[in-house]
Amino acid sequence: MRNLVIGGVLVGLVVLAAALSFFWTPFDPVKVDAAHRLLGFGGENLFGTDKFGRDLLSQIMVGARTTLYVGVVAVGIAAVIGTPLGILAGMSPRWLGEFVMRVNDLVLAFPALLLAIMFGAVFGADTLTAMVAIGIATIPSFARIARSGTLQVMSTEFVLAARAGGRSKLTIAVRHVLPNISGLLIVQASVSFAIAVLAEAALSFLGFGTRPPTPSWGRMLQESQELLTVQPRLALVPGIAIAIAVLGFNLLGDGLRDRLDPRLAAKV
Amino acid sequence: MTARVLRRVAIFVVSVLVASIVVFLFMAVLPGDPAQVALGVNATPELLAKTRAEFGIDRPLVTQYFDWIGGVLHGDFGRSYVTRDTIGPQLLDRLGVTLWLVGAGMLVALVIAIPAGTFAAVKHRKASGAGVSGLSQIGVAIPAFLAGIILVQIFAVQLRWLPSGGWTPPDQDFGEFFRGLVLPALSLGLVQGAVLTRYVRSAVLDTLGQDYLRTARSKGLRPGQALVRHGLRNASVPVVTVLGLQLATLLIGAVVVERVFVLPGLGSMLLDAVSSRDLLTVQGIVLVLVVGVLLVNFVVDLLYTVLDPRLRGS
Amino acid sequence: MKARLHVLAVALLLVVSGCSAGSSASVSAGPDTLSVGFTAEPANFDFTRTDGAAIPQALLYNVYEGLVKLDSQGRVVPLLAKSWTISPDRKTYDFQLQPGVKFSNGAPFTAEDVKFSLLRVKTDWTISIKSTMDVVDHVDVVAPDHARVVLSKPSNGWLFSLTSRLGAMFSPTGVADLANKPIGTGPYVVAARKRGDSVVLKANPAYWGRKPAYKTVVLKYIKDPTALNNALYSNGIDVISAITAPDSIPQFQADDRFQVVQGTSNSEVTLAMNNARAPLNDVRVRQALTYAIDRKALLDTAWAGRGTLIGSMVPPTDPWYEDLANVYPFDPAKAKALLTEAGATNLNLRLRIPNLPYAVSAAQVVQSQLADVGVRTTIEPLDFPAVWLKQVFTDHDYDLSIIQHVEARDITTFGKPKYYWGYDSKRVQQLLADADSGTPEQQVADMKQVARQLNTDAAADWLFLFPNVIVAKAKVGGFVQNQVSESFDLTGLAPR
Repeated sequence: MRNLVIGGVLVGLVVLAAALSFFWTPFDPVKVDAAHRLLGFGGENLFGTDKFGRDLLSQIMVGARTTLYVGVVAVGIAAVIGTPLGILAGMSPRWLGEFVMRVNDLVLAFPALLLAIMFGAVFGADTLTAMVAIGIATIPSFARIARSGTLQVMSTEFVLAARAGGRSKLTIAVRHVLPNISGLLIVQASVSFAIAVLAEAALSFLGFGTRPPTPSWGRMLQESQELLTVQPRLALVPGIAIAIAVLGFNLLGDGLRDRLDPRLAAKV
Repeated sequence: MTARVLRRVAIFVVSVLVASIVVFLFMAVLPGDPAQVALGVNATPELLAKTRAEFGIDRPLVTQYFDWIGGVLHGDFGRSYVTRDTIGPQLLDRLGVTLWLVGAGMLVALVIAIPAGTFAAVKHRKASGAGVSGLSQIGVAIPAFLAGIILVQIFAVQLRWLPSGGWTPPDQDFGEFFRGLVLPALSLGLVQGAVLTRYVRSAVLDTLGQDYLRTARSKGLRPGQALVRHGLRNASVPVVTVLGLQLATLLIGAVVVERVFVLPGLGSMLLDAVSSRDLLTVQGIVLVLVVGVLLVNFVVDLLYTVLDPRLRGS
Repeated sequence: MKARLHVLAVALLLVVSGCSAGSSASVSAGPDTLSVGFTAEPANFDFTRTDGAAIPQALLYNVYEGLVKLDSQGRVVPLLAKSWTISPDRKTYDFQLQPGVKFSNGAPFTAEDVKFSLLRVKTDWTISIKSTMDVVDHVDVVAPDHARVVLSKPSNGWLFSLTSRLGAMFSPTGVADLANKPIGTGPYVVAARKRGDSVVLKANPAYWGRKPAYKTVVLKYIKDPTALNNALYSNGIDVISAITAPDSIPQFQADDRFQVVQGTSNSEVTLAMNNARAPLNDVRVRQALTYAIDRKALLDTAWAGRGTLIGSMVPPTDPWYEDLANVYPFDPAKAKALLTEAGATNLNLRLRIPNLPYAVSAAQVVQSQLADVGVRTTIEPLDFPAVWLKQVFTDHDYDLSIIQHVEARDITTFGKPKYYWGYDSKRVQQLLADADSGTPEQQVADMKQVARQLNTDAAADWLFLFPNVIVAKAKVGGFVQNQVSESFDLTGLAPR
């Protein structure tokens, strides 16, 4: 319960910052202002400014948008493709299920970072290639969770009854399986979200993610490096933002897991 | 059990083959003519044609694939379009650096996670246990490269105890090698250690709840003793699985850490090859990384089969 | 217990398999050894076929030598040529060669090698600047120590270009594997290389001239500017060849252990505008963009105020330099008026840049300032060198780009209509041709006019001249203050 609350608050903070940034930020996050470069904490710019004189708080707020955007799309891709695959693998004959899972393992061998670098090389790196790469690399974890959840549900009495009653497999999948594994999927989404946030940060840090000037926490970190010794604030602020988001989604996932049927959760 | 192992081997071999085809095709669609890239902008059409023939990129894709994969099986990854040097030895050299990093990172992670996770599980009702869990949650949330940047600032730039980066091969100067490995291994291992701590904790917690441990405790053993004598083997099954996944994560995480610490490993080789569109090199590195991950998963699968008594019967 | 042993075994297996592969260059540290950090690593050692500044930076004057070299004041001085005379019609050059010079493979250096090397540029080289050698008509071997070069027309630029990589002397016995085994007459030879890490140069024991003070020089390649700084702080290197994290300079200045050498370079950070394509084929639009950009603010933010504002493609070290930095003062109102006049409202331009720190920094400032006059830009960082060279430089697929033009006297590129500027001015082409074939006085006068014309046409926007900032341990001396040649000249470095 404690996890759920803390996680919810942290995630809420990130979502709030992102939502607010659509309507208001203290300053224009991309406006260069030579006269106000490298201002410290406090003052008119709460978190100070970077070497371009851009307001750090405004960048963090818009950066939250980038972070959530990447997370939503990546997790969305993974869930939309991975879940049906997992259910299919769980409901179909053994050989087909095996086959789907083997393909799944193969995808697992292409981690998000590697895929994103490869996509970046082909299409030119930006937020989109990063999201898609992270999304594809996350498919296997959804497929796996969905499959094991499906196997459990398929052996329950109500499904056996539905099958005996001649319901089609599709109906069973939609009416019985999906609702019963949705809890698991939500937990997985939350955990995957945290991983996606980390992956986006790493990619932007390497220059394979969000393009300038769109604020991104990972790129802020990368730009902060040369001034780290004199202005550690520049790294601290985006670093803490990333940590808050990741911690939030992880705790939220844990909290949700605890609230689910512990029997089901423990076995998956 | 033999049948099971054989099946695993077959799956592994097929996966590697399919992966190699995927990697090859992916590189084939990359924009840019390697001959043009290699020769620059003033190359004459004749020279370009000659170079294409020299690289063998004027042949059908299928021929190119079999030629490439045939070479790879003999350890020949071809000759780079950009550096004009053989890729194989270079790849091996870089792989060595990355494996040291991954190995050392894993060691750090284990040294942290096993005691910390066990402690957190045994004391899970106490504040100290909850504290360790909380710390591990925060550790998970810090990107490895951020940990790296901070460690460099403290131990290399400010205190000047350790080098900020660079690589000394162990056979050249072991002391320097070790000093250079400390910070990269820590930044990789601290974060992975935090991840692992959570798994160790839950595995140990599971085991603690088992009947045989309760029996052991009722015979007067303290939780820790009972755990060491009876529980660790059982707790190790899920941990080994996670360890496998972690190893794969570390292999990729090394890409970023190598950039921070300027280590000449596979990761920095990959990034350099991508930015100079050295396709054949990219292809080779990606193949090695992907096969590495497949290999780790394969070994974990085998270990799992051997370790888990329930699976052994089938 | 057994389980954990298994895990350890796997880890050990992986580690041991890596162990055997770790062999590499051996670097012996000592007072004779100097370690210099660079950001750009040579892809290979063949600058005849691979473009880019990294290879000549490492090899020219150090491993390869030409007949002449450039000193720190930008003057052409003797190297492998003891002396030379120029005929009255300025088409025939007679070079007297240094005696007793040997290539590092033992072959003697003679006039035959001069002929071989100079003619080879036309036949075997592929890099973009090779056309400067087209003017060579033939080379005569008068005597083993006397080479005569006859040009098809007088050219002031030709002798100057011999100070660049184009003038490097090769032996017919030493060009079999230029990419991996460079063989020159210089004070250093390449002893080892570890890709992604370093190149080790050792003193050439048979060198004909003054022996360098450092017996071993390690060229360390560290792409990330911050990592480069950190390497100096933590004793990984002794010298940073050129600082690319300018905000960190004050830290070094405040620290007794280090010295900061500041000078100018040849390297114009240029906002290229595609002159051949609408809307930037309209001079008013180009002028508008030039008025819209506050170059002082750009230099202050993107490069910590280090560098020099220039108004054309001429660094202060060239004889025809004039201060044109204030011809287009920062004036957004005028920019808007010019845009309206040209009917170029609602512009959306693609700013396609190499993904290098200075370009990414400058692009963000340019974008913000252009936005203030209503010009939208999309920044597209491209992998450098491969993708940028292909798409922007070769295919001219861009509206705006930002790149350092590092070559000496590269103002002549504006005389080539097919160059990626897309700038085609008959007047400039004529002036450049006249300057090249005229007397040295006429050259200076004509080149001044070229520079002014480029400025008037706003053929590009020269954002700033890159500073040459070397940071080194206090004990090292002998640096070249102004980086005017293509080489990072190691030959003069010595302990203080």
